[in-house]
Amino acid sequence: MVDWITLAVPFAYLSILIGSLATFSSLYRKRKALKATSLEPWFPPHLQRDIYFSLMHLDPPPTPTSKGDKKPPAVPESVLKAALLRRAGEDIRRIMALRSQKQALSMLLQRGSVGDDLWQRFLRAEKEMEEEVRDVVAEANAYVPNWGQTIFQSANEMINNAVVRERIEKHQKKLDEEKAWWEKKKASIQEGFMKELDAETGSSTTTTTTTTTTTTTTTAPVASTAAAVVSESAASIKKVEASAPPASTVTESDDDAVLVEADDQAAAAAAAAQKSPAAGGSSSSKKKKKGKK
Amino acid sequence: MAQTIDLFNQYPLTLDPASKAISLTPSSSTYTSAQLSSITSELTTLNALHRSLISLEPPNIPPPPLPINPKRSAQINKLRDSANTAYRKNNHQEAVRLYTYAIEMALTRPGWEPVAVAREELAGLYANRAQAWMSQQGWVEGMVDARASVEGKPVGNVKAWWRGGKCLVEMGRWEEAKSFLNRGVEIEGKTSEGVKELLQLLEEVEEGVKRST
Repeated sequence: MVDWITLAVPFAYLSILIGSLATFSSLYRKRKALKATSLEPWFPPHLQRDIYFSLMHLDPPPTPTSKGDKKPPAVPESVLKAALLRRAGEDIRRIMALRSQKQALSMLLQRGSVGDDLWQRFLRAEKEMEEEVRDVVAEANAYVPNWGQTIFQSANEMINNAVVRERIEKHQKKLDEEKAWWEKKKASIQEGFMKELDAETGSSTTTTTTTTTTTTTTTAPVASTAAAVVSESAASIKKVEASAPPASTVTESDDDAVLVEADDQAAAAAAAAQKSPAAGGSSSSKKKKKGKK
Repeated sequence: MAQTIDLFNQYPLTLDPASKAISLTPSSSTYTSAQLSSITSELTTLNALHRSLISLEPPNIPPPPLPINPKRSAQINKLRDSANTAYRKNNHQEAVRLYTYAIEMALTRPGWEPVAVAREELAGLYANRAQAWMSQQGWVEGMVDARASVEGKPVGNVKAWWRGGKCLVEMGRWEEAKSFLNRGVEIEGKTSEGVKELLQLLEEVEEGVKRST
Protein backbone atom coordinates (compact mmCIF):
# COMPACT_ATOMS: atom_id res chain seq x y z
CA MET A 1 0.00 0.00 0.00
CA VAL A 2 1.23 3.45 -0.76
CA ASP A 3 1.46 5.74 2.16
CA TRP A 4 -0.15 8.82 0.63
CA ILE A 5 0.64 11.09 3.49
CA THR A 6 4.35 10.42 3.58
CA LEU A 7 4.49 10.56 -0.20
CA ALA A 8 2.74 13.95 -0.23
CA VAL A 9 5.49 15.52 1.82
CA PRO A 10 8.26 15.42 -0.86
CA PHE A 11 5.82 16.37 -3.56
CA ALA A 12 4.67 19.35 -1.55
CA TYR A 13 8.28 20.25 -0.95
CA LEU A 14 9.10 20.07 -4.64
CA SER A 15 6.04 22.01 -5.72
CA ILE A 16 6.69 24.77 -3.20
CA LEU A 17 10.32 24.97 -4.25
CA ILE A 18 9.60 25.12 -7.95
CA GLY A 19 6.69 27.48 -7.45
CA SER A 20 8.72 29.92 -5.42
CA LEU A 21 11.58 29.79 -7.90
CA ALA A 22 9.22 30.42 -10.79
CA THR A 23 7.59 33.40 -9.09
CA PHE A 24 10.96 34.82 -8.18
CA SER A 25 12.27 34.46 -11.71
CA SER A 26 9.18 35.94 -13.31
CA LEU A 27 9.13 38.83 -10.86
CA TYR A 28 12.82 39.46 -11.38
CA ARG A 29 12.50 39.44 -15.13
CA LYS A 30 9.53 41.72 -15.07
CA ARG A 31 11.29 44.16 -12.88
CA LYS A 32 14.38 44.10 -15.06
CA ALA A 33 12.31 44.69 -18.17
CA LEU A 34 10.54 47.54 -16.46
CA LYS A 35 13.85 49.05 -15.52
CA ALA A 36 15.14 48.71 -19.06
CA THR A 37 12.10 50.40 -20.53
CA SER A 38 12.15 53.10 -17.93
CA LEU A 39 15.65 54.06 -19.06
CA GLU A 40 15.57 57.13 -21.19
CA PRO A 41 16.39 56.52 -24.83
CA TRP A 42 19.78 57.80 -25.93
CA PHE A 43 18.49 59.69 -28.92
CA PRO A 44 15.35 61.74 -29.43
CA PRO A 45 12.66 60.10 -31.54
CA HIS A 46 13.84 59.18 -35.00
CA LEU A 47 11.75 61.56 -37.07
CA GLN A 48 12.81 60.27 -40.47
CA ARG A 49 12.10 56.71 -39.48
CA ASP A 50 8.72 57.65 -38.11
CA ILE A 51 7.86 59.43 -41.31
CA TYR A 52 8.97 56.47 -43.36
CA PHE A 53 6.78 54.08 -41.42
CA SER A 54 3.91 56.54 -41.39
CA LEU A 55 4.12 56.65 -45.16
CA MET A 56 4.17 52.88 -45.36
CA HIS A 57 1.07 52.70 -43.25
CA LEU A 58 -0.66 55.53 -45.02
CA ASP A 59 -3.34 53.52 -46.77
CA PRO A 60 -6.13 53.69 -45.92
CA PRO A 61 -5.61 57.43 -45.51
CA PRO A 62 -6.70 58.93 -42.21
CA THR A 63 -8.42 61.90 -43.81
CA PRO A 64 -11.90 61.25 -45.12
CA THR A 65 -11.87 62.72 -48.60
CA SER A 66 -14.94 64.28 -50.10
CA LYS A 67 -14.50 62.34 -53.33
CA GLY A 68 -16.57 59.52 -51.94
CA ASP A 69 -15.57 55.95 -52.53
CA LYS A 70 -12.74 56.73 -54.93
CA LYS A 71 -9.67 55.20 -53.40
CA PRO A 72 -6.71 57.57 -53.23
CA PRO A 73 -3.48 56.15 -54.55
CA ALA A 74 -1.07 54.42 -52.25
CA VAL A 75 2.21 56.18 -51.66
CA PRO A 76 4.35 55.86 -54.79
CA GLU A 77 7.54 53.92 -54.42
CA SER A 78 9.73 56.88 -55.28
CA VAL A 79 8.46 58.76 -52.24
CA LEU A 80 9.22 55.80 -50.06
CA LYS A 81 12.70 55.60 -51.54
CA ALA A 82 13.30 59.22 -50.76
CA ALA A 83 12.04 58.72 -47.23
CA LEU A 84 14.30 55.69 -46.83
CA LEU A 85 17.26 57.72 -48.00
CA ARG A 86 16.49 60.39 -45.44
CA ARG A 87 16.22 57.70 -42.81
CA ALA A 88 19.62 56.31 -43.77
CA GLY A 89 21.06 59.80 -43.47
CA GLU A 90 19.78 60.22 -39.96
CA ASP A 91 21.09 56.75 -39.10
CA ILE A 92 24.54 57.72 -40.22
CA ARG A 93 24.44 60.83 -38.10
CA ARG A 94 23.48 58.74 -35.09
CA ILE A 95 26.12 56.12 -35.72
CA MET A 96 28.74 58.84 -35.95
CA ALA A 97 27.53 60.30 -32.68
CA LEU A 98 27.69 56.91 -30.99
CA ARG A 99 31.16 56.24 -32.30
CA SER A 100 32.51 59.52 -31.10
CA GLN A 101 30.90 59.15 -27.70
CA LYS A 102 31.87 55.56 -27.05
CA GLN A 103 35.49 56.10 -26.14
CA ALA A 104 34.88 59.01 -23.84
CA LEU A 105 31.98 57.28 -22.17
CA SER A 106 33.88 54.05 -21.51
CA MET A 107 36.72 56.05 -20.02
CA LEU A 108 34.33 57.88 -17.75
CA LEU A 109 32.72 54.61 -16.75
CA GLN A 110 36.08 53.11 -15.85
CA ARG A 111 36.87 56.03 -13.65
CA GLY A 112 33.46 55.80 -12.09
CA SER A 113 32.48 59.28 -13.14
CA VAL A 114 29.22 58.14 -14.68
CA GLY A 115 26.70 55.65 -13.48
CA ASP A 116 25.94 52.25 -14.88
CA ASP A 117 22.57 53.50 -16.10
CA LEU A 118 24.17 55.72 -18.66
CA TRP A 119 26.28 52.90 -19.96
CA GLN A 120 23.21 50.66 -20.20
CA ARG A 121 21.40 53.31 -22.14
CA PHE A 122 24.34 53.68 -24.45
CA LEU A 123 24.61 49.96 -25.09
CA ARG A 124 20.94 49.79 -25.82
CA ALA A 125 21.20 52.65 -28.28
CA GLU A 126 24.08 50.89 -29.99
CA LYS A 127 22.13 47.69 -30.32
CA GLU A 128 19.12 49.54 -31.63
CA MET A 129 21.20 51.28 -34.25
CA GLU A 130 22.60 47.95 -35.41
CA GLU A 131 19.09 46.65 -35.89
CA GLU A 132 18.07 49.84 -37.57
CA VAL A 133 20.91 49.67 -40.08
CA ARG A 134 20.13 46.06 -40.87
CA ASP A 135 16.52 47.01 -41.36
CA VAL A 136 17.35 49.86 -43.71
CA VAL A 137 19.63 47.68 -45.79
CA ALA A 138 16.93 45.02 -46.05
CA GLU A 139 14.35 47.61 -47.10
CA ALA A 140 16.67 49.08 -49.67
CA ASN A 141 17.38 45.68 -51.14
CA ALA A 142 13.67 45.08 -51.31
CA TYR A 143 13.17 48.14 -53.50
CA VAL A 144 16.11 47.66 -55.81
CA PRO A 145 18.47 44.72 -55.65
CA ASN A 146 21.92 45.68 -54.36
CA TRP A 147 20.85 49.17 -53.32
CA GLY A 148 21.59 48.18 -49.75
CA GLN A 149 25.28 48.22 -50.51
CA THR A 150 25.34 51.83 -51.63
CA ILE A 151 22.51 53.49 -49.75
CA PHE A 152 24.67 54.39 -46.81
CA GLN A 153 27.47 55.66 -49.01
CA SER A 154 25.02 57.92 -50.77
CA ALA A 155 23.51 59.05 -47.51
CA ASN A 156 26.94 59.83 -46.12
CA GLU A 157 27.86 61.97 -49.10
CA MET A 158 24.55 63.74 -48.81
CA ILE A 159 25.18 64.66 -45.21
CA ASN A 160 28.68 65.92 -45.91
CA ASN A 161 27.53 67.90 -48.91
CA ALA A 162 24.79 69.47 -46.84
CA VAL A 163 27.33 70.44 -44.19
CA VAL A 164 29.67 72.05 -46.71
CA ARG A 165 26.84 73.94 -48.40
CA GLU A 166 25.61 75.17 -45.07
CA ARG A 167 29.02 76.52 -44.10
CA ILE A 168 29.55 78.25 -47.39
CA GLU A 169 26.05 79.63 -47.19
CA LYS A 170 26.90 81.04 -43.78
CA HIS A 171 29.78 82.99 -45.26
CA GLN A 172 27.74 84.24 -48.16
CA LYS A 173 24.95 85.35 -45.87
CA LYS A 174 27.29 87.80 -44.19
CA LEU A 175 27.75 89.63 -47.46
CA ASP A 176 24.99 92.16 -46.95
CA GLU A 177 26.06 92.93 -43.43
CA GLU A 178 29.66 93.38 -44.50
CA LYS A 179 28.60 95.51 -47.43
CA ALA A 180 26.64 97.82 -45.17
CA TRP A 181 29.62 98.10 -42.86
CA TRP A 182 31.97 98.88 -45.71
CA GLU A 183 29.66 101.54 -47.11
CA LYS A 184 29.60 103.20 -43.73
CA LYS A 185 33.35 102.94 -43.38
CA LYS A 186 33.88 104.28 -46.86
CA ALA A 187 31.62 107.22 -46.12
CA SER A 188 33.49 107.98 -42.92
CA ILE A 189 36.83 107.76 -44.70
CA GLN A 190 35.59 110.15 -47.36
CA GLU A 191 34.29 112.47 -44.70
CA GLY A 192 37.66 112.35 -43.02
CA PHE A 193 39.34 113.31 -46.27
CA MET A 194 36.91 116.17 -46.76
CA LYS A 195 37.53 117.43 -43.28
CA GLU A 196 41.26 117.30 -43.74
CA LEU A 197 41.03 119.15 -46.99
CA ASP A 198 38.60 121.61 -45.47
CA ALA A 199 40.94 122.18 -42.59
CA GLU A 200 43.78 122.71 -44.99
CA THR A 201 41.97 125.27 -47.11
CA GLY A 202 40.27 126.78 -44.07
CA SER A 203 43.53 127.20 -42.21
CA SER A 204 45.20 128.87 -45.17
CA THR A 205 42.37 131.40 -45.34
CA THR A 206 42.55 132.00 -41.61
CA THR A 207 46.24 132.74 -41.87
CA THR A 208 45.58 135.29 -44.55
CA THR A 209 42.79 136.91 -42.53
CA THR A 210 44.92 136.98 -39.42
CA THR A 211 47.69 138.73 -41.28
CA THR A 212 45.19 141.28 -42.50
CA THR A 213 43.82 141.77 -39.01
CA THR A 214 47.29 142.20 -37.58
CA THR A 215 48.13 144.76 -40.19
CA THR A 216 44.90 146.71 -39.81
CA THR A 217 44.57 146.62 -36.05
CA THR A 218 47.14 148.14 -33.79
CA THR A 219 45.86 147.29 -30.28
CA ALA A 220 47.97 144.83 -28.34
CA PRO A 221 45.34 142.37 -27.05
CA VAL A 222 43.95 141.79 -30.51
CA ALA A 223 47.39 141.08 -31.83
CA SER A 224 47.96 138.57 -29.11
CA THR A 225 44.71 136.72 -29.88
CA ALA A 226 45.57 136.75 -33.54
CA ALA A 227 48.95 135.27 -32.75
CA ALA A 228 47.22 132.55 -30.78
CA VAL A 229 44.97 131.82 -33.74
CA VAL A 230 47.97 131.65 -36.03
CA SER A 231 49.69 129.17 -33.79
CA GLU A 232 46.45 127.19 -33.63
CA SER A 233 46.12 127.03 -37.40
CA ALA A 234 49.77 126.12 -37.71
CA ALA A 235 49.11 123.26 -35.32
CA SER A 236 46.19 122.12 -37.42
CA ILE A 237 48.34 122.21 -40.53
CA LYS A 238 50.94 120.17 -38.75
CA LYS A 239 48.19 117.73 -37.80
CA VAL A 240 47.14 117.44 -41.41
CA GLU A 241 50.70 116.75 -42.41
CA ALA A 242 51.08 114.25 -39.65
CA SER A 243 47.97 112.34 -40.63
CA ALA A 244 48.73 112.42 -44.33
CA PRO A 245 51.85 110.21 -44.57
CA PRO A 246 50.29 106.91 -43.52
CA ALA A 247 47.61 107.33 -46.13
CA SER A 248 50.20 107.89 -48.81
CA THR A 249 52.23 104.86 -47.79
CA VAL A 250 49.08 102.80 -47.89
CA THR A 251 48.40 103.96 -51.40
CA GLU A 252 51.93 103.13 -52.43
CA SER A 253 51.35 99.54 -51.54
CA ASP A 254 48.92 98.94 -54.35
CA ASP A 255 48.42 100.44 -57.76
CA ASP A 256 44.66 99.98 -57.80
CA ALA A 257 44.33 101.63 -54.46
CA VAL A 258 46.28 104.61 -55.69
CA LEU A 259 43.78 105.00 -58.47
CA VAL A 260 40.80 104.83 -56.13
CA GLU A 261 42.18 107.10 -53.54
CA ALA A 262 43.44 109.50 -56.13
CA ASP A 263 39.91 109.61 -57.47
CA ASP A 264 38.60 110.11 -53.99
CA GLN A 265 41.08 112.84 -53.36
CA ALA A 266 40.19 114.57 -56.60
CA ALA A 267 36.51 114.39 -55.76
CA ALA A 268 37.15 115.57 -52.23
CA ALA A 269 39.34 118.37 -53.47
CA ALA A 270 36.64 119.47 -55.89
CA ALA A 271 34.07 119.39 -53.14
CA ALA A 272 36.42 121.25 -50.83
CA ALA A 273 37.05 123.85 -53.50
CA GLN A 274 33.34 124.41 -53.74
CA LYS A 275 33.07 124.62 -50.04
CA SER A 276 36.13 126.71 -49.38
CA PRO A 277 34.54 130.13 -49.87
CA ALA A 278 31.99 129.30 -47.21
CA ALA A 279 34.66 127.90 -44.91
CA GLY A 280 36.84 130.89 -45.44
CA GLY A 281 33.89 133.21 -44.82
CA SER A 282 32.97 131.53 -41.60
CA SER A 283 36.52 131.61 -40.31
CA SER A 284 36.95 135.27 -41.26
CA SER A 285 33.69 136.19 -39.51
CA LYS A 286 34.93 134.38 -36.47
CA LYS A 287 38.08 136.36 -36.68
CA LYS A 288 36.17 139.60 -36.85
CA LYS A 289 34.28 138.72 -33.73
CA LYS A 290 37.52 138.09 -31.97
CA GLY A 291 38.95 141.27 -33.32
CA LYS A 292 36.05 143.26 -31.86
CA LYS A 293 36.83 141.97 -28.48
CA MET B 1 14.89 45.05 -27.54
CA ALA B 2 13.13 43.39 -30.39
CA GLN B 3 9.93 45.19 -29.62
CA THR B 4 11.32 48.68 -29.63
CA ILE B 5 12.55 48.34 -33.19
CA ASP B 6 9.02 47.67 -34.36
CA LEU B 7 7.56 50.70 -32.65
CA PHE B 8 7.21 54.06 -34.28
CA ASN B 9 5.30 57.27 -33.85
CA GLN B 10 2.72 57.64 -36.52
CA TYR B 11 2.38 61.07 -38.05
CA PRO B 12 -0.81 62.06 -39.78
CA LEU B 13 0.60 62.61 -43.25
CA THR B 14 -1.21 63.27 -46.47
CA LEU B 15 -0.10 62.79 -50.02
CA ASP B 16 -1.04 65.30 -52.65
CA PRO B 17 -2.19 63.03 -55.47
CA ALA B 18 -1.06 65.39 -58.23
CA SER B 19 2.39 66.46 -57.09
CA LYS B 20 3.03 63.48 -54.79
CA ALA B 21 4.16 65.95 -52.16
CA ILE B 22 3.86 64.82 -48.57
CA SER B 23 2.45 67.18 -46.00
CA LEU B 24 1.20 67.02 -42.48
CA THR B 25 -2.54 66.77 -42.13
CA PRO B 26 -3.58 70.23 -41.04
CA SER B 27 -6.14 69.04 -38.50
CA SER B 28 -3.45 67.63 -36.21
CA SER B 29 -2.88 70.13 -33.46
CA THR B 30 -1.43 67.79 -30.86
CA TYR B 31 2.15 68.79 -31.61
CA THR B 32 4.09 71.61 -30.07
CA SER B 33 5.29 74.35 -32.35
CA ALA B 34 8.88 73.12 -32.20
CA GLN B 35 7.86 69.64 -33.20
CA LEU B 36 5.67 71.00 -35.90
CA SER B 37 8.41 73.09 -37.41
CA SER B 38 10.89 70.20 -37.36
CA ILE B 39 8.38 67.92 -39.02
CA THR B 40 7.50 70.40 -41.72
CA SER B 41 11.13 71.19 -42.45
CA GLU B 42 11.88 67.49 -42.68
CA LEU B 43 8.97 67.04 -45.04
CA THR B 44 10.12 69.86 -47.29
CA THR B 45 13.58 68.31 -47.58
CA LEU B 46 11.96 64.97 -48.20
CA ASN B 47 9.86 66.42 -51.00
CA ALA B 48 12.87 68.11 -52.53
CA LEU B 49 14.79 64.87 -52.40
CA HIS B 50 11.87 63.09 -53.94
CA ARG B 51 11.77 65.51 -56.84
CA SER B 52 15.46 65.04 -57.50
CA LEU B 53 15.04 61.28 -57.32
CA ILE B 54 12.20 61.35 -59.83
CA SER B 55 14.38 63.22 -62.29
CA LEU B 56 16.80 60.29 -62.32
CA GLU B 57 16.32 57.45 -64.75
CA PRO B 58 14.76 54.30 -63.32
CA PRO B 59 15.20 52.59 -60.91
CA ASN B 60 15.11 56.06 -59.30
CA ILE B 61 17.76 55.50 -56.73
CA PRO B 62 20.87 57.58 -56.28
CA PRO B 63 23.73 55.96 -58.15
CA PRO B 64 26.78 54.96 -56.15
CA PRO B 65 29.02 57.97 -55.46
CA LEU B 66 31.63 56.85 -57.94
CA PRO B 67 31.84 57.20 -60.89
CA ILE B 68 30.42 60.72 -61.16
CA ASN B 69 28.03 61.84 -63.79
CA PRO B 70 30.30 63.84 -66.12
CA LYS B 71 27.55 66.06 -67.54
CA ARG B 72 27.43 68.64 -64.79
CA SER B 73 31.18 68.77 -64.39
CA ALA B 74 31.54 69.47 -68.09
CA GLN B 75 29.01 72.29 -67.91
CA ILE B 76 30.71 73.84 -64.91
CA ASN B 77 34.09 73.61 -66.60
CA LYS B 78 32.70 75.27 -69.68
CA LEU B 79 31.31 78.14 -67.65
CA ARG B 80 34.53 78.52 -65.76
CA ASP B 81 36.58 78.61 -68.95
CA SER B 82 34.41 81.30 -70.46
CA ALA B 83 34.60 83.25 -67.20
CA ASN B 84 38.37 82.95 -67.25
CA THR B 85 38.57 84.29 -70.77
CA ALA B 86 36.28 87.16 -69.83
CA TYR B 87 38.55 87.93 -66.92
CA ARG B 88 41.60 87.87 -69.11
CA LYS B 89 39.93 90.31 -71.44
CA ASN B 90 39.48 92.63 -68.44
CA ASN B 91 35.74 92.18 -68.62
CA HIS B 92 35.49 91.71 -64.88
CA GLN B 93 31.76 92.18 -64.48
CA GLU B 94 31.05 89.56 -67.08
CA ALA B 95 33.54 87.25 -65.37
CA VAL B 96 31.79 87.69 -62.04
CA ARG B 97 28.45 86.92 -63.64
CA LEU B 98 29.74 83.76 -65.28
CA TYR B 99 31.48 82.60 -62.12
CA THR B 100 28.24 83.13 -60.25
CA TYR B 101 26.43 80.88 -62.70
CA ALA B 102 29.12 78.25 -62.33
CA ILE B 103 28.90 78.47 -58.54
CA GLU B 104 25.15 78.10 -58.64
CA MET B 105 25.51 75.05 -60.80
CA ALA B 106 28.10 73.57 -58.48
CA LEU B 107 25.94 74.27 -55.46
CA THR B 108 22.99 72.47 -56.95
CA ARG B 109 25.03 69.37 -57.66
CA PRO B 110 22.98 66.48 -56.27
CA GLY B 111 23.88 65.62 -52.73
CA TRP B 112 24.83 62.03 -53.30
CA GLU B 113 27.78 62.92 -55.48
CA PRO B 114 31.11 62.81 -53.70
CA VAL B 115 31.64 65.72 -51.39
CA ALA B 116 35.33 66.01 -52.23
CA VAL B 117 34.55 66.89 -55.83
CA ALA B 118 32.03 69.53 -54.84
CA ARG B 119 34.42 71.11 -52.36
CA GLU B 120 37.25 71.29 -54.84
CA GLU B 121 35.07 72.82 -57.49
CA LEU B 122 33.44 75.36 -55.21
CA ALA B 123 36.75 76.40 -53.69
CA GLY B 124 38.24 77.08 -57.11
CA LEU B 125 35.21 78.96 -58.34
CA TYR B 126 34.93 81.12 -55.25
CA ALA B 127 38.63 81.94 -55.34
CA ASN B 128 38.34 82.99 -58.98
CA ARG B 129 35.29 85.09 -58.29
CA ALA B 130 37.12 86.74 -55.43
CA GLN B 131 39.86 87.68 -57.88
CA ALA B 132 37.31 89.06 -60.31
CA TRP B 133 35.72 91.13 -57.55
CA MET B 134 39.08 92.39 -56.41
CA SER B 135 39.96 93.68 -59.84
CA GLN B 136 36.92 95.92 -59.69
CA GLN B 137 37.54 97.00 -56.09
CA GLY B 138 34.79 94.82 -54.67
CA TRP B 139 36.76 94.20 -51.51
CA VAL B 140 33.78 93.08 -49.46
CA GLU B 141 32.58 90.60 -52.03
CA GLY B 142 36.13 89.43 -52.58
CA MET B 143 36.64 88.82 -48.90
CA VAL B 144 33.39 86.89 -48.54
CA ASP B 145 34.21 84.74 -51.54
CA ALA B 146 37.73 84.09 -50.31
CA ARG B 147 36.37 83.00 -46.97
CA ALA B 148 33.91 80.68 -48.67
CA SER B 149 36.73 79.30 -50.77
CA VAL B 150 38.99 78.45 -47.86
CA GLU B 151 36.01 76.94 -46.11
CA GLY B 152 35.60 74.58 -49.03
CA LYS B 153 39.26 73.73 -49.31
CA PRO B 154 41.61 75.02 -46.64
CA VAL B 155 44.74 73.15 -47.69
CA GLY B 156 46.53 73.93 -50.93
CA ASN B 157 44.50 77.06 -51.48
CA VAL B 158 47.17 79.73 -51.02
CA LYS B 159 45.56 81.98 -53.60
CA ALA B 160 42.33 82.22 -51.67
CA TRP B 161 44.14 82.90 -48.40
CA TRP B 162 46.16 85.63 -50.03
CA ARG B 163 43.12 87.18 -51.68
CA GLY B 164 41.14 87.20 -48.47
CA GLY B 165 44.03 88.82 -46.64
CA LYS B 166 44.50 91.37 -49.37
CA CYS B 167 40.82 92.34 -49.29
CA LEU B 168 40.95 92.82 -45.55
CA VAL B 169 44.07 94.94 -45.93
CA GLU B 170 42.37 97.10 -48.51
CA MET B 171 39.53 97.71 -46.11
CA GLY B 172 41.95 98.62 -43.37
CA ARG B 173 40.95 95.71 -41.14
CA TRP B 174 44.49 94.97 -40.07
CA GLU B 175 43.77 92.77 -37.09
CA GLU B 176 41.38 90.57 -39.02
CA ALA B 177 43.82 90.35 -41.90
CA LYS B 178 46.54 89.29 -39.49
CA SER B 179 44.52 86.51 -37.93
CA PHE B 180 43.24 85.37 -41.31
CA LEU B 181 46.72 85.21 -42.80
CA ASN B 182 48.14 83.55 -39.73
CA ARG B 183 45.51 80.88 -40.00
CA GLY B 184 46.34 80.48 -43.67
CA VAL B 185 50.04 80.07 -43.00
CA GLU B 186 49.32 77.62 -40.21
CA ILE B 187 47.11 75.45 -42.39
CA GLU B 188 49.27 75.61 -45.48
CA GLY B 189 52.45 74.91 -43.59
CA LYS B 190 55.61 76.96 -43.84
CA THR B 191 57.17 74.84 -46.53
CA SER B 192 54.53 74.62 -49.21
CA GLU B 193 54.89 76.69 -52.33
CA GLY B 194 53.20 80.03 -52.47
CA VAL B 195 53.44 80.51 -48.74
CA LYS B 196 56.17 83.06 -49.37
CA GLU B 197 53.64 85.47 -50.74
CA LEU B 198 51.42 84.93 -47.74
CA LEU B 199 54.30 85.70 -45.42
CA GLN B 200 55.13 88.78 -47.41
CA LEU B 201 51.59 90.04 -47.10
CA LEU B 202 51.65 89.17 -43.44
CA GLU B 203 54.70 91.34 -42.92
CA GLU B 204 52.93 94.18 -44.63
CA VAL B 205 49.95 93.62 -42.39
CA GLU B 206 52.06 93.68 -39.29
CA GLU B 207 53.47 97.01 -40.30
CA GLY B 208 49.92 98.19 -40.83
CA VAL B 209 48.91 97.00 -37.39
CA LYS B 210 51.78 98.92 -35.87
CA ARG B 211 50.88 102.04 -37.79
CA SER B 212 47.20 101.92 -36.92
CA THR B 213 47.76 101.58 -33.19
